[in-house]
Amino acid sequence: MLQSRDASAFNYLYEHYAPAVYGIILPIVNETEVANDIMQEVFLSIWKKIESYDPAKGRLFTWMLNIARNASIDLLRSRSFQNARKNQPLMETVNWNSGYHVMQPEIDAIGLNKLLEKLKEEQRVLIELSYFKGYTHEEIAEIEGLPLGTVKTRIRNALIQLRNLMK
Amino acid sequence: MNVKEYISSGIIESYVLGLSSAEEAEELERMCAAHSEVYQARSIFEEQLERNAILLGVQPPKKLKTLILSEIEIDAELLASKRMPAVTEEKKTPLIFNFTPRLWKRMAAAAVVLLATSTILNFYFYYQYDKYNREYSNLLSAKKQQDTEHEQMQKAMQGYATTVNVMADTNMAVINLHGMHNHPEYSASVYWNKKSKDVYLMAKDLPPPPQGRAYQLWAMMDGTPVDAGVLDWNNKNWLTPMNKVSAAQSFAITLEKEGGSDSPTAGSMYLVSNP
Repeated sequence: MLQSRDASAFNYLYEHYAPAVYGIILPIVNETEVANDIMQEVFLSIWKKIESYDPAKGRLFTWMLNIARNASIDLLRSRSFQNARKNQPLMETVNWNSGYHVMQPEIDAIGLNKLLEKLKEEQRVLIELSYFKGYTHEEIAEIEGLPLGTVKTRIRNALIQLRNLMK
Repeated sequence: MNVKEYISSGIIESYVLGLSSAEEAEELERMCAAHSEVYQARSIFEEQLERNAILLGVQPPKKLKTLILSEIEIDAELLASKRMPAVTEEKKTPLIFNFTPRLWKRMAAAAVVLLATSTILNFYFYYQYDKYNREYSNLLSAKKQQDTEHEQMQKAMQGYATTVNVMADTNMAVINLHGMHNHPEYSASVYWNKKSKDVYLMAKDLPPPPQGRAYQLWAMMDGTPVDAGVLDWNNKNWLTPMNKVSAAQSFAITLEKEGGSDSPTAGSMYLVSNP
């Protein structure tokens, strides 16, 4: 029904999944206003791309999660958001020519982020860098000064840990 | 790596969360297709993740929903309008032009092509419209027929319900009517409730009355016939309520003009009961 672009089915989809999707976006972009923009972008693209959803590749929610996460990471990158967040003076980041001049306090421990608190520091950092910041394994290997294979293994172990923390 | 090791390697989690490389993703999709255990493990993690995401979800601002749904609606309308034939498209030429005749020729050619395309599309859409219209009216008449049938069924059900109720009443007396010498094969029954004085007629085995005629029931009291009502032939398959009768020694059925007579017509007596 959804794949035939039924607006009322979409209404149901929004009712059911909006909080979960918002909980994915928010801890990545860390700002309510930005998260609201991404929400719009994400649900509009879910609506437009629903035909391309392939059930063989996973559940609908998984597909939505990846759209939401990718959109959030894209924004982080395109606005070099991470620079702005790392304690740099605001003056240097005014050129992103957007309305977000006032940084809000960091939104911690929201959505899937909540689960991270229980991980070991070493694992937490890896999940933070890969899932929440969108760095590739290669980039993380460089940042952490570790061999690529080690990074891969550690991330996978961290994910298994994270899974065990889930209900 | 065997399947078990593969499942517990963390690759599934990495894939579902979008952290795997393209090659890893391809491999996992292959493994899912080849081994149901892998597919199952992935589904389980996906469900777990979904449950947690919903559990740990954050309610977005209310205004967002309105905003998003209105955008969707606009998009849906746009989508719908794209499916309609574009009749005036080929007429849209810019107002101010300073082009060479060569260009004009080309544009004219393009306009002709557009017009032709549009015409073909119009035919196509008209054909579609016509097709759906016909399908719709077929459906409509099928629905009407169903409704009529349904109504008839309901009526029959009500009739049978009345029949069963009447027959179940212990105050009910059943009086059998036999055909007279002219129609010995005819039979009918009168159900007479001696307490409530209600009378019902069961005339299932009578032949249909001739055009413009109807069967009329009479209650005989001391040789005098009292009108007990005319039989509605549409109800003949179940017990038909007739007029109340407080006292009678026997019953008779005559064939009368439609609507009944005040007194039975001589020689039209069809059935009588034993006194």
